[in-house]
Amino acid sequence: MSKKRERLEVIRDILNSVREKRKIKPTRLLYSSNLSPQMFKNYVNELLNKGFIKIELDKKEKKFFVLAKKGSEFLQEYVVIQNFVENFGL
Amino acid sequence: MELYSWILQNREIIKIIYALIIVLICATITLKSHKMFKLSLYQGIRYFRNAFFFYGIAFAVRYLFGSYLFHFSKTYSIVIEVLFSFFFIMAGFFLLYSLLWKKIESPHRINHSSLFNFRILLFYLMAFTIVILDLVWSTLYFLFFSQIFVFLFAFAISFSNYKSKGRNRKFLKFYTLAMFIALIAWILNALIEKVFNWNPNIHILTYLFNIFMFLLFLFGIIYLSKKN
Repeated sequence: MSKKRERLEVIRDILNSVREKRKIKPTRLLYSSNLSPQMFKNYVNELLNKGFIKIELDKKEKKFFVLAKKGSEFLQEYVVIQNFVENFGL
Repeated sequence: MELYSWILQNREIIKIIYALIIVLICATITLKSHKMFKLSLYQGIRYFRNAFFFYGIAFAVRYLFGSYLFHFSKTYSIVIEVLFSFFFIMAGFFLLYSLLWKKIESPHRINHSSLFNFRILLFYLMAFTIVILDLVWSTLYFLFFSQIFVFLFAFAISFSNYKSKGRNRKFLKFYTLAMFIALIAWILNALIEKVFNWNPNIHILTYLFNIFMFLLFLFGIIYLSKKN
């Protein structure tokens, strides 16, 4: 059985999915995140509020998530953050 | 021997320099961990940051604003001691909580504020109670014993972390060492009056232990925030 993902890993996985697709529909992101709908909603709202991802609308007024600058910075710094958390036992 | 008497003669100035060093270290740790928290939204980093924020304030209050440069009145000195104890106890609680929070909170949720929420309110109440008890009995023993408890607990947790993950995470042994040094420093502080009869050597030793502990954390945060 695989280990339960830590919070940082969940955020990394969500942001990676958004980055890979460049633009991703909410339902697609929910599937790729492997989270329950409620948990997914909590994470996505938080990432939106903190400016890690943003919403864009296409010509048909459909919602897409795209990676914001802060989200891209998180992915770049992920290893450093993970190292810090594990080395300090936080 | 000459150095020793020079230290004793200039101890007020040395205390200010000592405080400035620790305040600077705390400010650096607070800013670096704040930056990391903003990027990661990780609660453990947030509590760790708060610990060093309070340590910085505590040292600034006691050794800078409480120094001989600002000796206004007896009431002023009491207020300084009360504030110092309060901030120091809060810092200890935050440091311990940064190691424990995952067992208490859901790691998937984030609080709106890490300084004003129900759990932290309990810390404020405990810190306030300890400060009041010390004030009423004109002692510092409640502060000392609360810190001995905090660092004993933090040492046990960090030692357990080191035993389970120390092979891959090199800084865990330094963290455990820092907690052990802090524990010894607080035990010496508690014994300084009764056992060591206010021996200045022990005083100096506790100061050195404190600086060493903060330097270890500074080293850790600088070393670990470097990109590989």
